[in-house]
Parts: sequence; structure tokens; C-alpha cells
Amino acid sequence: MNIIEKFFESGRKHFVEGGRFAKLYPLYESIESVFFAPARATRTAPNVRDNLDVKRFMMLVIVALLPHYAFGIYNVGYQSHLASGLSTGFFPAIFTGLKVVLLLVVVTYTVGFFWELLFAVVRKHEISEGLFVSCALFPLTLPPTIPLWQAALGISFGIVIGKEIFGGTGRNFLNPALTGRAFLYFAYPAQLSGDAVWTHLCGGRTAAVDAFTGATPLSVATVTERLADIQGVLTDAGYSAAKLMLGDYPGSIGGTSTLLALVGAAFLLILGIASYRIIFGCILGLLATAFFLNLVATDNSMPYLSLNPFYHLMMGGAMFGFAYMATDPVSAAHMPVAKWIFGFSIGVLTVLIRVFNPAYPEGVGLAIIFMNLFAPLLDQIELKFRLKKRVPNV
Amino acid sequence: MKSIRIKSGFNIKVSGQPAPEVQSLQKPTRLALLPERIPFVKPRLKVKAGDTVQVGSPLIEDKRNSEIQFLSPGGGKVVDVIFGPRRVIREIVIQLDDEEKQVEFESLPEIDIKKIDRDQLIRLIVNGGLWPLIRELPFRDYPSPDTVPPAIYVSLGNLEPFQPLPEVYLAGSTELFEYGLKVLGKLSADRVQVCASRTNTAIQRQLNGIITLTYSGNYPVHDPGVLVYHMKTSTEENRSWYVDGQNVLLLAHLLKNGTYPTRRTVALAGSCARVKKHFHTRLGAPLAHITDDRIDDSDIRYIEGGLLTGYAGSAHTYLGLFETALSLIPEGHEKGELLGLFRPGYRKPSYSRVFLSALNRENLEMTCSVHGGDRACIACGYCAQVCPVDILPQFTYKAVLAGEVEESLEHGLLDCVECGLCSYVCPSKIELFETLKNAKADFYKEKMA
Repeated sequence: MNIIEKFFESGRKHFVEGGRFAKLYPLYESIESVFFAPARATRTAPNVRDNLDVKRFMMLVIVALLPHYAFGIYNVGYQSHLASGLSTGFFPAIFTGLKVVLLLVVVTYTVGFFWELLFAVVRKHEISEGLFVSCALFPLTLPPTIPLWQAALGISFGIVIGKEIFGGTGRNFLNPALTGRAFLYFAYPAQLSGDAVWTHLCGGRTAAVDAFTGATPLSVATVTERLADIQGVLTDAGYSAAKLMLGDYPGSIGGTSTLLALVGAAFLLILGIASYRIIFGCILGLLATAFFLNLVATDNSMPYLSLNPFYHLMMGGAMFGFAYMATDPVSAAHMPVAKWIFGFSIGVLTVLIRVFNPAYPEGVGLAIIFMNLFAPLLDQIELKFRLKKRVPNV
Repeated sequence: MKSIRIKSGFNIKVSGQPAPEVQSLQKPTRLALLPERIPFVKPRLKVKAGDTVQVGSPLIEDKRNSEIQFLSPGGGKVVDVIFGPRRVIREIVIQLDDEEKQVEFESLPEIDIKKIDRDQLIRLIVNGGLWPLIRELPFRDYPSPDTVPPAIYVSLGNLEPFQPLPEVYLAGSTELFEYGLKVLGKLSADRVQVCASRTNTAIQRQLNGIITLTYSGNYPVHDPGVLVYHMKTSTEENRSWYVDGQNVLLLAHLLKNGTYPTRRTVALAGSCARVKKHFHTRLGAPLAHITDDRIDDSDIRYIEGGLLTGYAGSAHTYLGLFETALSLIPEGHEKGELLGLFRPGYRKPSYSRVFLSALNRENLEMTCSVHGGDRACIACGYCAQVCPVDILPQFTYKAVLAGEVEESLEHGLLDCVECGLCSYVCPSKIELFETLKNAKADFYKEKMA
């Protein structure tokens, strides 16, 4: 028996029935099961069970998110130093980024875990791993300047109202991380919109250096007055296709890199964790709608209409939302065809919100939440069709 | 010859398959009948401890239909009747004597099968205690003797891990088997489907021209319920009957020889069995007699039936009436390896692709560990992907738990073939199989009451 096993065995007696902290058993269990799968043999048929459990399932989503954290930390620091006129070297940038992002992550996890533990203790069930994914996703969607208390409030709303009051992971119908994000957006628009919030300033500065604009590609595309040459406008603002793809521009902490989101999506698809129907549905919907807008655009219409469909995919957090938020299996549609429709509609709505509602420069989050609401209906419709085809057996 | 192929289902790659060799075991000292393991039957005892019985003396009868009796697999003295909780009859144990007197039944020469009255034939089978070997879909109880089935399916081979091979138990008994098929033909107006795997060339050579239906695909395509589901054109066919290939031999033996059959071919397998092969032994033989010194470990589960659908016995229990396989695999009481959550898992079999074992073509060792804690359904959809009869277990079990009987029936609850794959693949470790199986049984009992 090695040291770690001994450590858990010696602690166990305090958390089991009759121990001092028996009520906190979910806490003990959730930590122990990270190190050792629970010692549990089947009591009924089938005698053998698959090795996969929810913990592994969710853990792999977090693994897919780690590159976003690495990139986000660097990018937050890099943009911050750029705007504050400091050295943009790799290590100083990483150091600043770490300070911002780590704090945010620690606060999010502490608050989120507190709520989950509270509900687990009261309801006497084990801690569900969905929480760890929600808490990993949530900071990535936030601007780096977010006050910590707002982040704490946002994740509280997301976990409690988005999930726990319905019974916890698996019984929620909204994506908890996005619910928290949307709550913050509507509750504190000053801290979550505008051009200033996407860059963290350091070194005691209150305003960015003159050469730095801080405008995100989405806001550039929204406010431009130059007709019929929106790609040119973006390029002039410093947003070439390569830059949009890579994501090294001001924006939410983890959502800017389309390239990493594509890699993450491929990872989740290869492992079979994310649904290809949803991801491809989203991308198709987005491209199709943007292409359709291109067709109706005239020389005098809003310049945003004529934006290349692929720019829509590369700008902002669209691909991030498609890869990690839309594919949350619980809040997405469950039936195969419904998944296609669910994904496609998210893509459509993302573009429509972006183009026609300048108040919300990024539409993907709201599009996903909106379709979350419709997912059960889509499922029911497909279910009805499927059940009709069965030869009855009564 | 018709052929059925399914794309759903799943073959578990587990190590410890039985070799096709066969060995005859000595006569055991004790045998037992396990009324607890006969589905749906409400047993009434016909003997008590100390009674002397012959091979074929009635031990219990079914309270629902007292014509249906279950007979003694051996001759000697009833030494013990073991009860479980709520007075359920677990075992009726018989100490065998040397001579083992046999009850004489009426025999039926092969040429008379065509001539004999159907009711009289049924009478012979019922009196011989073997009517319950015929099962009726969808509930898998024995059929009422006065109904005529739309078809009878004879299943040769079982794709569940560690089941006896049909070419082994049929070796040298082809004639007896054909006799049995004629009897079943009489019962069903010649609507008998003999089903075997398309890839099993050995059995096709042995039963040249007898097999009428072949199947290919994953477990449980062999199951008559699956075959019916994929072939049926009318609701009537849902009431089809089926008989396991080995049980056809028992039926044929009874009618041809006029004595109660006693031979059972059992596959001993699993990673804890040192010898993995087939054995000829007796119906109701003690499990310890079959394993003898052929085991390796101490913390072993004795699975009677199959890895997925079977139940746990022990070294002190006996072979059930319907069981033809004994699988020995580790209990899996231990905790998982350190930080196993983060390991690639090249040797961890899984339906999903999240372990490196997805690239491993070897058969891997499995234990009875659950591999995780209970969670709410996260709608991964694996259960619906594996279900061989297109049920959506993730929706159906919710309908069952909500008490929506009509809705669950609409979902095809009665098509469920009780293969256990939905529970096997579930990452939330939800007991889907148990929920659906119990719901089906409850519905049946309510219907019968």
C-alpha cells in the first residue's frame, strides 16, 4: 500500500457513517476518486461493466480545454503589456497572464465547488463531475478585466440557477457556464461589453497607450461605415485571416483562438465525446447563413452583410462555443436528427445576432442558450416520428 | 436460407474463452434443483427433506398451473430444502444413490411423430417435466400448452462471452437433434427456424441443410427476440416461441427414450479458470464439482449463465436448470490503480473510444468492478447506439421510473431482449437493464393477474 492510499485510508474513518465529518463524505469521495477508482463490484446483472465513467468523460473535456488556458494566459499578458507599453517578451507576458487568469480560476472553482458540495451534502449524493467542466469553461468566456466578485456571482448563478435547482448535472436544461455568463452580461453590461474591457491594464495605468485601440474584430465589423469592403476594414484594423485564426487579439480569455478550438473539437470528435452532428451542424449553419447574407447584400447595404462566411467562423468565440458549449450532451438535443437541427440553428442564430443586433457583438453564447431551450422540443418531435415506425408489441 | 444482419449490439473483447474440447465428468454426489432461478414460476414443494426420489420424480409444481412440474435431475434422497429470504425456495438438494432408479415415461418412436395428435404430444412433454424448456416471447415465460405459436426459433450458439459452442454439444447427437426438430415442427405446424451464426462453418457443415436462418453482427444478434424484431411483419409474431439448441436435445431424449434426460454440456471459462473448456456433466450439478481444482484465485465470482445476463453463484451452489455456462472472473472489490483516471488505458476494454484500448485488438481481462460512481444520465446516447432492437433506453427508463406504462410500451419496452448491453455501456452506471427487465416482468405479472 503506497503513501497516498494510506493517506486516504486513514482519513476515511472520519467521513464514513459515524465519523466526525460524515456529512462531508461527498467531499472525501470526490477527491479520493480522482486518485483511485471506487472499490465497487456489481451487485446485479450485467456482471461486468464498461471502464468508462463520467469522471473520465468530463476529465477529457478539461484536457481539451488546457491548450486554451495556456494560450489564454499568454494572450492576456501579451495584450496587457502591449496596451500598457511594457515589454512584450514571453515570460513577462506569461507572468502577468498567470496573475489574472489563475486568480479567476481559483475563485471560480472555489465558489462553484462550494455550491456543488452544499447541494451534494443536502441531497446526499456524490459530487458530479459536470461541475469541473463548467468551472473550467466559465473563466474562458470572461473578459480579463472582470472583477473577481462578479466572476464569483456569475458562477454562483450558473451553478445554482442553471443547474442545481433542477437536480444537478444531467437534469439541467441550460448550459451552466453560459447561464452564468449570460447573467453577468445582462446584470453588469459595463464590465462585459465595450472595447475597453477586453484588455487588462497593468503597471498602474488607467488608459491604454495611444497606439493601442483594443477594439475586437467583432466590434470593428459592427461599427464600420466603409461599404462593400469589410475584409479590408478588418485588415486595416490589424485583423488578417491568420490573426483571427490564431486568436492573438483582445477578447475573452480563452475564446479567441479558432485554431485551438478546431484542434479541441477534433480531439473530442476522435474520442467520441462531442457529437459530430452538433459541431458540423453549427459550422454549416453559420457558413450557410453568412453566405446567404452575402447573396442579399448590395453595395449600399450594411457592410457586415458582405463579410466572408469563413471570417464569421474565425472571428470571436464562435468556434469555441461550437466545440465546447454547444456539445454539452445534457443541455443539447439528444436525438440524432434533432442534433443536426440544434447545431444548424445555433450557427444561424449566431450570425443573425452578430449582424443584426449591434448591442450583442458576439452572438454564439446567446444562440446556444436559446437553442438549449428548444432542444427538448426537437427531441420530442423526432421521438414521435421514430416511435410511429415501430411494429407495436403490446 | 434467410440471413439477418444487425449493425447495433456490441461484442465485448474479454479474455478467457472456452476451448472447443470436451471432457466427461464423474457422477457428482449431490444434485439440486434451483426453483429460485426459474423465471416467473411460483413453486409449491412436492417433497420434503428425507424423501426418496427417482430420476424424474416431481420436486415442485407451479402454483399458477399445477400441471407444470419440475422433476428431479437425480435419484436418491432429498437431504435438504434451502430457503432464502421471505421463504423463497433456493435449492432442493438430492444426495444421489448408486443405482439411481428412473421414472418410466411414455416413449415416442420417430415414425409416430407425424401421426401423433398435437395435444397428446404436448401431454407427453408436460408429463415429462420439460415443457418449461420452451419459452415464449416477449416475456420469456413458458407458453400456455394450449396456444399455437406463430413460429418456434431454435437458437444454436450464443454470442455472449463464454457460452458453450453448438458444435460441441451437438457432436454425435445430430440424429437426436433432428428428432427434436420434428417434435417442434409438430408443435408449430412446421414453422421452425433453426438459427446459427453465418460465420460458424463447423456447425453449418454438421447440420447441412437443417439450418434455416443465419445471422451475423454483434452480440446479441443470436437472440430469438432480436431475430424476431428484425424479421417480423405483424404483431402476432411477437408471441413466437424459442428453445435453446441444447434443450432441444433434452426434449428429444425424453420423448425418444422415455426417461428424464440428465446430461448437460457446460462451458467453464473466464480468466480465473485454469482449464477453459467444455464438460459433460449432470443437470443441477454442484458448481464446485465442475470447477474442482481448476481455479486460480480466491476472490472469484462464479457467474452462472453469461457475463452480462447471468447471476452470481458460489462454490456452494448448483447449476440452474437453464444455465449452460460457468464463468469465473475476479470480483473486482479492489480500488482502481493510482491515478487510473489519467492513464491511457491500453488494457481497459470499453465501448467508447476514450481509452487507448480502442486500438487494442486483443481480448482483455475484465473484473466485476463497476468502474465508477452513480451519476445522473448525461445523455451520451451510448445505450441507444448498442440497443439491438432500437429502444432508446435513456428515454424509456425515465418513462418507467415516472410510472408511465403506456409511454414505455410505446417506446418498445416489450421488444427488449434483456441483453444487458445498455447497463454495460452506461458511464453513469445507471441500472437500465434491471429497470427495463423489472418493468417488463411487472407488466406481465399484472397482465396475468
